[in-house]
Amino acid sequence: MSEVKIAAELRTEFGKGAARKIRREHKVPAVLYGHGTDTQHLTLPGHELLLALRTPNVLIRLQGDGINEIALPKGVQRDPIKGFLEHVDLLLVKRGEKVTVEIPVTVTGDVIGGAILDQQLVTVSVEAEATHIPTGVEVDVDGKDVGYAVHAGELALPSGATLAGDPEALVLHVIGAPTVELPEEGEAAEAEAEAAGEGEAAESEAGE
Amino acid sequence: MLIPRRVKHRKQHRPDRSGAAKGGTRVVFGEFGIQALEHSYVTNRQIEAARIAMTRHIRRGGKVWINIYPDRPLTKKPAETRMGSGKGSPEWWIANVKPGRVMFELSGVAEPVAREAMRRAMHKLPMKCRFVKREVGEA
Repeated sequence: MSEVKIAAELRTEFGKGAARKIRREHKVPAVLYGHGTDTQHLTLPGHELLLALRTPNVLIRLQGDGINEIALPKGVQRDPIKGFLEHVDLLLVKRGEKVTVEIPVTVTGDVIGGAILDQQLVTVSVEAEATHIPTGVEVDVDGKDVGYAVHAGELALPSGATLAGDPEALVLHVIGAPTVELPEEGEAAEAEAEAAGEGEAAESEAGE
Repeated sequence: MLIPRRVKHRKQHRPDRSGAAKGGTRVVFGEFGIQALEHSYVTNRQIEAARIAMTRHIRRGGKVWINIYPDRPLTKKPAETRMGSGKGSPEWWIANVKPGRVMFELSGVAEPVAREAMRRAMHKLPMKCRFVKREVGEA
C-alpha cells in the first residue's frame, strides 16, 4: 500500500478552546503515539486527511516541524451529522513491523433467488506488515444456495496476512428469505383507521 | 409493539433533549439505515408503524434491525384537571432519539428497494431523517 504524505504541525495549545480554534481553520487536532514514545500533539490539514482516511488502514507519512514518521489511524472521531473530522488518533509504526488491523470483507455476486445473504462480519482482524496491509478480502457468493456459510478461517487472505481473530467466527451465510404476511384489504384499512383515530385523539387531548 | 416488561420506576422525568447522539451513529448491522437529523421522542407506535411500512414494501427477503428501544415512560394529566394532586399517569413509551442516531437498518435488498422502503418508514417518524449507507472500510 502506498503512503499518503500529510503536512503536520506540532500543537502547543490544548483543551477544547484550542481544539475548536483549530477546527475553525479547517484543520484537525490529532495525537501520535506508539512504541513507548511520548505522545505528540499535532495539527493536520482537514481536507487532505479526510480524503486519506477514505482508504481503509491508510499509511500516513507525517512531515514537517521536525516530524518524519509513518503512522496508521487508530481512532477517528467524526461529527455524526456533518461527517467532518473532529479528532484523530495515530499509531506510530515502523517498516517491517507487524500490526493487527481490521480489513473489510467485500462480497461479490448474487445468491440464488429466494435466499438472502446474511453478513455477520463486515471486517476481519488480520496481522500484516505495516507497510503491506491488504486493502480487503473478497468473498464470491454468486449462485450460492441456502445453507452456504463462510467462516473466518476459510477466507482467502492476501499473501503476507494472517488471521488474528477467531477462525471459527461466522463471516456470512445464506438463509431463506422470510415472508411477510400482508393483511387483507379490510384489515389494513381498519388498522390504519385505528392508528389515525388514536393520533387525532392524542392531538385533541394535547390541544385542550 | 415494543414495551418494557418491567421497570424500576413507573413515572420518570422527561428525558434531556439536548446534544447529539454519542454512539450508534453508523450503520453496523445492515447495509442501509435511517439516521435521525433532529432530536425527538419516538413512541413505540411510531417505531412499529415504520417497521411495518418497511417490511410491507420489501415483501420478501431483507432483514430489518431496530436500534432504538422505547424504554422511557411519558405521563399525561387527564383533560380539564386542576393542577397539583400528583403526577399524571403513564401514557406513552418513548425512545429519546438524538441527532445522528441510526434508528433502523436494512439488508438483503437492492438499494432502490431499500431507499423506497426507508422513505416510507421516514414518513412514520416524527423528525427529519436521512437515508444512509454502510461505509465500507472507512476509518
